[in-house]
Amino acid sequence: MTKLMSKSATLAFALGIGAVIAAGGAFAHNDPMPKGKMTPAAHAAHMRHENFESLGKAFKAVIDETKKSDPDKALVQKSTRTMATLATGLPTWFPRGSGVEARPKSEAKANIWTDAAGFSAAASAAQVQVSKLNQAALSGDMGAVRAQIRATGGSCKGCHDKYRQEKKD
Amino acid sequence: MSDAQSGVKVRLWDGPVRIVHWLLVALIGFSWWASDDHLDWHQWSGYTIIALVVFRIFWGFAGAGAARFSSFVRGPRATLGYLKTLGSRAPSTTPGHNPLGALSILVLLLLLMAQLGTGLFAVDVDAYQGGPLSDRVSFELGRQLADIHDLIFHALQAVVGLHVAAVLFYLVWKRTNLISPMITGQRELPGDPGFGRAPWWRLVFGIVLATVIALALSKGLRF
Repeated sequence: MTKLMSKSATLAFALGIGAVIAAGGAFAHNDPMPKGKMTPAAHAAHMRHENFESLGKAFKAVIDETKKSDPDKALVQKSTRTMATLATGLPTWFPRGSGVEARPKSEAKANIWTDAAGFSAAASAAQVQVSKLNQAALSGDMGAVRAQIRATGGSCKGCHDKYRQEKKD
Repeated sequence: MSDAQSGVKVRLWDGPVRIVHWLLVALIGFSWWASDDHLDWHQWSGYTIIALVVFRIFWGFAGAGAARFSSFVRGPRATLGYLKTLGSRAPSTTPGHNPLGALSILVLLLLLMAQLGTGLFAVDVDAYQGGPLSDRVSFELGRQLADIHDLIFHALQAVVGLHVAAVLFYLVWKRTNLISPMITGQRELPGDPGFGRAPWWRLVFGIVLATVIALALSKGLRF
C-alpha cells in the first residue's frame, strides 16, 4: 500500500513538474528585437518593450538592494540614474501608430493616443517620482531611497492601470 | 439522501481537515479578488495558504482515519474500477475520498504547491511588488514566474470547478450528500470503517511546523 502510494505520488509529482516546465516554455517572456526590416512604428514598439524591461530591471535592483541591511550604494545610484534617464525618454516611446497595430503583443492601450493629455500627465507624474528616487539615491541616504520606493511604484501602477492592457502571449 | 437504512453514524472528517478545507475555499477566493489591486493582502493570504497546505500534507501522514493519504490514494486499477461504477445510481459509500476524488485531491495539492512556489518568486509588472523570494531571481524570470502563476490559477479554477461539479453530481445523481459531512464531520455509512484518532500532540506539532515554515517564507528566509 505505502509502496503503491509513493509510486503514484512520484508519478503525480513528475507530471506536475513537467506541466510547469511546459508552461514555462510556452511563455517565452524575453521578446528580443526581431532582426531585419521593420516599419518605424514596429521598431518603436519593440524598443519601448526593451526600455520598459530595462526600467523594471533597474527598479527591481534598487528594491532588492535596499532590502539588505547594508545596501550597495553605488549599485543603487547606478540603477536610479538608469531609471531617471529612461523615465525622461519615456514620453517619446509612444509615437502614434506604435500600438498593437505595430506589434501584436504590445500592451499599449489605444487611450494613450486618444487621451494624450491624460497619458502625458501620468508619464510626467512618473518622471517626478523617479527623479525624487534618483535624488534620494545620489544623496546617499538609503533610508530616503526606501521611503521613496512606494511612491515610485505607485506612479508606475497609476499609468499601467489606465493605459496598459494585460496581454498573455 | 437517506442512503443508509441500517447505517451507522461515523465521525468521518476530523476538525483539522474541515477547517483546512473551508479556509482554503475562503482564502483562494480572497487571493483571487486581492490579486488585482491588493497585492499586500494577496501575499498574506498566500502565506496562510502555505501554512494550510503544509499542515494538510503533514496531516496526511500524521493524522488518522480518512485524513491519511494511505487511506484514500489508490492505484490506477482501483481508480478505473471505481470509474466503471460512477454511472450507477447506487449511493456512494466510500468512507472518505473515493479513488477519483483522491486523484483530484492530489492534483489540487500539487497545483496549490506550484502556485505557492511560483508566487514566492513572482514579480509584478511594476517591479515594485514581488514575492518574498523574488530578490533571488532576475526581473525577467520573476515576470515569467508571475505569468506561470497566472496560468496555474486557471488550472486551479478548472479543478475546483470539477470538484464542485462532482459534489453536485453525487448529490443529484447518486442522492449522496457529501456537503454536510464536510461541515459536521458526521456521515451515515453502512458500516463503521473503524477510524481512530491521532494523538493531540501531533496536531500541535503540525500547527507549529506549518506556522514556522509559512513565517520563514514570508520573511524571504531572512532572519
